Amino acid sequence: MFDSIFNSVIRFATEYNEHFANGMAYLGAGIAVIGGLGPGIGQGFAAGKAAEAVGRQPEAQSKILVTTLVTQAVAETTGLYGLVIAILLIFAR
Amino acid sequence: MQFDLIGPISPAVISTIFIVILLSIIFVIAGIRVKKMDPAKTPKGFMFLMIVIVDFFNKFLSGYITEKRRFNFFAPYLFTILIFLAVANISSLFGMTAPLSNIGVAMSFSILTFIMVRVTEFKFSTLKGKFNSLVGPVKALAPIMVPINLIGEFSTPFSMGLRLFVNLLSGAIITAIFYGLLGLIGGLFAGVALHAMFDIFFGLIQAFVFFMLSTVNLSMASEA
Repeated sequence: MFDSIFNSVIRFATEYNEHFANGMAYLGAGIAVIGGLGPGIGQGFAAGKAAEAVGRQPEAQSKILVTTLVTQAVAETTGLYGLVIAILLIFAR
Repeated sequence: MQFDLIGPISPAVISTIFIVILLSIIFVIAGIRVKKMDPAKTPKGFMFLMIVIVDFFNKFLSGYITEKRRFNFFAPYLFTILIFLAVANISSLFGMTAPLSNIGVAMSFSILTFIMVRVTEFKFSTLKGKFNSLVGPVKALAPIMVPINLIGEFSTPFSMGLRLFVNLLSGAIITAIFYGLLGLIGGLFAGVALHAMFDIFFGLIQAFVFFMLSTVNLSMASEA
């Protein structure tokens, strides 16, 4: 009697834990992607400054474009790390 | 999507091998024909295209690496990487899996960068200069600065490879989500914009960014 109740409780707990872990992983993936806020702000700032620089010195446009692209790609890295964590949480758990 | 690190040959590796064979055939033919060319005549067709590409690259790179010895050492490697990445990133337009959407291919690029930076340091800088750059300007802070600088030596190539991988993978995932949501008819219309955005635009920008960061890292390593 007691044994069967105990077993069913154990089974319920394992099933519940599985669903709980799944849900928490998806929630964590969603939270990890909030890290995209930072690169958005940073890239926008860099693009604004680049536009300012082109307005001040239009003949240097090609060099400013190259520098902006490279610096924006570097600033993007932290957001990409958040994305990697989200992808790992969803697919490769 | 392929997340196996170890396993049978993945489609990304197959398309990598295919692209390598294709590019080597094209450039070996170009190299053979360049040797037989008459300098007095104007080149035509295929050779004209090759010469324009190489000349444009040389002009662009000489704005960043001015010294002749360094330029001759870096230019072939950087040109190879730029051409391979540009072709590899737009290869999904031709029905192949994008090679960089597999982490194994992307991480091999970071290993390549790491080896190239070490070779550059051995070739262009002395042991004393390397030691000074590791310790930093203030000798008293050496116990703190040496581990940080050593981590920096490894993390720069790692983040470069990871950047390539995640950019291409995010494009592939967003494209797959849109195709799944829109079905066949909607996918036909959305595919034009999606592939133009994620394959051509982002792919070429990532190839260019990897090339520029390699240039910066290599010239920094050679001057340390």
